[in-house]
Amino acid sequence: MSRWRFWPRSLAGRTALVLLLALTAVQAAGLTIHALDRVDLQRFAQAREISARAISAWRTVILAPADRRAQMLAELELPQGLSATLDDEPVARLDQPPIPPPIARMLRLDLLGGGPPRFRPREILTGWGDRAPTFLVSLRLPSGEWLNLRISLPPPRPWHSETFLIAFFAMTLAAGLLINWAVRRLTRPVRALAEAAERLGRDVNAPRMPEQGPTEVAKAAHAFNTMAERIRRFVGDRTQMLAAIGHDLRTPITRLRLRAEFMDDDEQRRKMLADLDEMEAMVTATLAFARDDSAGEPTVALDLAALCRTVLDEAADARPDLAERIGYRGPERLVVQARPVALKRALANLVGNALAYGSAAQLVLTGAEGPGRAVRLAVEDEGPGIPPDQLEAVFQPFRRLEASRNRETGGTGLGLPIARNIFRAHGGDVVLENRPGGGLSAVATLPG
Amino acid sequence: MEAQPHILVVDDDREIRDLLSKFLERQGMRVAAARDAKEARRLWPLGRYHLVVLDLMLPGESGLDFAKWLRSQGDVPIVMLTAMADETDRIVGLELGADDYLSKPFNPRELLARVRAVLRRASGEGGSAKEPPAKAVRFGGWTLEPARRRLLNPDGAEVPLTGGEYELLQVLVERPNRVLTRDMLMDLLRGRQAGPFDRAIDVAVSRLRRKLEDDGRNPSLIKTVRGGGYVLAATVERS
Repeated sequence: MSRWRFWPRSLAGRTALVLLLALTAVQAAGLTIHALDRVDLQRFAQAREISARAISAWRTVILAPADRRAQMLAELELPQGLSATLDDEPVARLDQPPIPPPIARMLRLDLLGGGPPRFRPREILTGWGDRAPTFLVSLRLPSGEWLNLRISLPPPRPWHSETFLIAFFAMTLAAGLLINWAVRRLTRPVRALAEAAERLGRDVNAPRMPEQGPTEVAKAAHAFNTMAERIRRFVGDRTQMLAAIGHDLRTPITRLRLRAEFMDDDEQRRKMLADLDEMEAMVTATLAFARDDSAGEPTVALDLAALCRTVLDEAADARPDLAERIGYRGPERLVVQARPVALKRALANLVGNALAYGSAAQLVLTGAEGPGRAVRLAVEDEGPGIPPDQLEAVFQPFRRLEASRNRETGGTGLGLPIARNIFRAHGGDVVLENRPGGGLSAVATLPG
Repeated sequence: MEAQPHILVVDDDREIRDLLSKFLERQGMRVAAARDAKEARRLWPLGRYHLVVLDLMLPGESGLDFAKWLRSQGDVPIVMLTAMADETDRIVGLELGADDYLSKPFNPRELLARVRAVLRRASGEGGSAKEPPAKAVRFGGWTLEPARRRLLNPDGAEVPLTGGEYELLQVLVERPNRVLTRDMLMDLLRGRQAGPFDRAIDVAVSRLRRKLEDDGRNPSLIKTVRGGGYVLAATVERS
């Protein structure tokens, strides 16, 4: 793991890093070759200068009167890397290694041996000095003295050039910026795809992805749109089927209700009407879930505090035995933008669940604490709660916990999915939490 | 009013039509039944109907169009049967002048209660039933919209009410500055509200005061009258 500490997590980061490293290496190599080339040229020029000066020094010495030779030699202006002295003995000796031929050629030592015969040295000794890279050339004057030339070429130091460093960093920086920009641009479609998938998960009717850009990207977007379209059609078909079933069931339920009125056995009639009530509740819930009609309702300014109290009052009227355990804590007034009928259904579902499975419903409403914060709405009960691994599962349609089935508490298995759909359509959400003190809490949020 | 109210039932389902006719006849009403708007129009001149029970979803001419036609013929009260939870149908129906509505599948006893209440109002209040239903009723800064069954606060924000609260408020707003005893309120409300409401008048009034931001100890909008009654102390404007 630690080996990959600097390995970026994002595709853009990884691509940029790889490109940047490769480009830096290529650049370093390229610049080095360039620099070495230049150094070669420099050395060549230096060598030419040295050889020309060396020849002129020899000419000066050989043409000068014997007594003024030393003085004139001293007055000569010699370039860096060349020094000349008049001595009785040569500095170059035969036991020293010879000057390598390429350097000898470069220094054009052969020119010293040329020229008119009276200018030629009587003897030429060359050697490679002890302290490399000093080359020694000793030329014997007709008088028997030696003109000793010490030539030292400066070592090639390509990386010490200022321009090299500036060029290297400037190019690296420019390349880095370019890579960063290009990679971000190239990976943007991947991010867009991820965002589109995320949107589709929340809303089946999310807008299509634009099918443009590079071929691969356009293809991926097209494939995604096709998939989204299939999902949409599938969901649409299922919704239509549910709606049709719910719709068609209303007529037989109405007939049965009427027929029950003609039954003589009061007990049987009461039971039949109770069954019909239950059937109707299920049909209503199924239709509400299938049609998701909250989307069609206009959003208006709504007193949420009054809505909470209304839902609780209606619940208390329906379950007088539990009225004592139904309560509201929160502000007297809290105006939000919402769809009243849908939000009332969502709240009624949460309160109904709390009463059915938790024998209590305490509603705690908290206003938004500052701009951009959410309004919080918690419905707390005193039931046994839900196993933690089931807290999310119960939001799936028709999902009921075994315990609930056994207790015959009824329910359609649609209350929570409907509530969640509605809160999400409002830009909020609802989750279930087990309260530390026992009991379940349905916590809903709405944009403030 | 005749002893036997004459009802016209318009519904396309034969069984429902027959069962509903039988059910209403057993409650001492005279019933004629039509399967669609065409048949209803044919039956219309043949009798003097006190009330029409009209299904909105009819084959051929829609229930809404037929209701419009009925309105042009006179002021016979209409109780509409709407598709379940279909807000827009309901609002359009009520704005067109339906006197009440029920969503299918309805409870026959509730239908009976509503039919009786509408008949009582139509005969009891005589001319008042003739005036078109108000779109908005304003009192003390608050607005009640009968078609949408909703209450708006002075800032225009909707304040949700329970069914009982709404019925109570409507009764009070229809009779401003008139003392209504608990008995009168119970009598006025029983027709509209199915279920036990008797014990709940005081509760409903206190809940309503809370929502109307009316101080329960010193109410200014819904005043308590010594001797057991309530009065809406406000000027009511209809529009």
